[in-house]
Amino acid sequence: MIERSHAVVTDPDKCIGCVSCSQVCPTRAIRVREELARVDDELCIDCGACIDACRWDAMKAKTSSPADLKRFKHTVAVPSLTLYAQFDKGVQPGQVLRALRHVGFDSTCDISWMCEMLTGATDAYLSECDGPWPKISVTCPAVVRLIQIRYPDLIPHLVPLETPRELAAKLRRRRLAAELGLDPSEIGIFFITPCTAIVDSIAAPVGLEASNLDGAFSIAELYGPLLKAIKRDPGADSAESISAKGLRWAMAGGEISAMRNSNAMTVRSLRDVVWVFDRIESGTFAGVDFIEAYICSGGCVGGTLTIAGRFVAQRNIRQLARAIGDSGKVKEEKVRSMLREHFFDIESEIHARPVRPLARDLRRAIALKRERDALRQRLPGKDCGACGAPNCDTLAEDVVRGEAAIEDCVFVRLESLEKESTNRHGGDHE
Amino acid sequence: MVAEVLYREQFTIRGNDFEHGGEVATQVKSILKQLGLDPAVIRRLSIANFEAEMNVIMYADEARLELEVLPDAVRVVVADRGQGIPDIEWAMQEGHSTATAEMRARGFGAGLGLPNIRRNSDEFEISSTVGVGTTLRYLVRTDAAPAG
Repeated sequence: MIERSHAVVTDPDKCIGCVSCSQVCPTRAIRVREELARVDDELCIDCGACIDACRWDAMKAKTSSPADLKRFKHTVAVPSLTLYAQFDKGVQPGQVLRALRHVGFDSTCDISWMCEMLTGATDAYLSECDGPWPKISVTCPAVVRLIQIRYPDLIPHLVPLETPRELAAKLRRRRLAAELGLDPSEIGIFFITPCTAIVDSIAAPVGLEASNLDGAFSIAELYGPLLKAIKRDPGADSAESISAKGLRWAMAGGEISAMRNSNAMTVRSLRDVVWVFDRIESGTFAGVDFIEAYICSGGCVGGTLTIAGRFVAQRNIRQLARAIGDSGKVKEEKVRSMLREHFFDIESEIHARPVRPLARDLRRAIALKRERDALRQRLPGKDCGACGAPNCDTLAEDVVRGEAAIEDCVFVRLESLEKESTNRHGGDHE
Repeated sequence: MVAEVLYREQFTIRGNDFEHGGEVATQVKSILKQLGLDPAVIRRLSIANFEAEMNVIMYADEARLELEVLPDAVRVVVADRGQGIPDIEWAMQEGHSTATAEMRARGFGAGLGLPNIRRNSDEFEISSTVGVGTTLRYLVRTDAAPAG
């Protein structure tokens, strides 16, 4: 069994054991036991919903710390496109890149041009590949994890092309090592991330042996220092490579907006993703060529670790893209030749990580399912979460798995106390 | 020989209920996943169940879908009350469909329904009486599942 990691940690000093996080978790991965929210590695897809929901600041993303930068001779910041969209109107990507150097990185690496390359590569891939249809984008790592855990049948639908952030980091490391005469391991490349899912995709990559990135800082934690740096030095670094077509990848709908293939759909938010994936599994949507799917509503601009919020960020991206203009930065023949050289290909197979069934043996699993259904009948169905499981269904399942007790339910306990007291009462009178 | 039924559950599908279209197939899938059946088996059944469910929604008044888990197979019976199929042979041919333009626009009725169910099952039976209804019985073996 492969050990799963995840990018969300609970701070035991801050967690008060309320159930806000467990109630919003889309994969029901959180249990609150002994006043502490615990995340199940096997079920967590790193969507970050719990971080958003926690009012006590107790759920945190496992991001890098400034000390991590000291391990390298040269450090590079690879900003998510969403970072460009966080600041007030008028702040240009070049200014953001310069500010990143002011806050402690030696150099920066824009990925919008790589996004444009991937747009071309995806088009070429779609025109050359065989089914199964529709193909699904791998851009959102939480979507990829959801597929590994809940929809293993959809793995062959994933487009086997690496993400822009990984490819850009790979190229940059190679180039810098040659230019600076450094060993590749002496260069530290850090992503500035809008979400927890990418943090985990660096620590526990899918589709490649080791990430080309060395860590990630959240947009939220760098926002303050960057804003200060922009005010102090409003100058800009070169932003020649910035591609408008690429920039739109920050928003849901952006990935397909510049594609030639128009038989594509955008699906955003976990609820809709689940709705669509259920249907792809049943063979619907086979007439669609490509689906870009995001766990966050709005796409990456809606990530948990952002500041501006997706509505403002969407406007900012649109304005930036319009100002740059849609003339591409990438030549199509170049993309096709790189595709033939397998530059974009993922390195290793994407494996299924199906959730464990109730039991390996069919008869035993059926017996446990019956037991679970019976327990479920005893529970009130209020889904209050007070037992520590997110809802009554999950508590019933936890009980048959031996991970909880039916008495964890306050209503069940109350009922048995009442029964006891009635019995005792009745006894007194006799 | 009558196979031992390890698990049985029934679902109701209502005609014209596009709003809940696909939900029974999804519920069945979730049960099969809990029981830890092979993903290839679940996939084939899900495709068949979805097609059967949508057929009921598009053409019948109401149906009962019965799921039976046997030691070496999963059996599904979908019995509907409805208009029935006058020419089963015709309906079983690839590409034939009486779906209206509106249904097609919503992605249903590509004329793959019944042949698709047969393709995704190891045993398939259909019987129909015009004006009364249609019954589908199909089975997917779980012991040595052929690649779906």
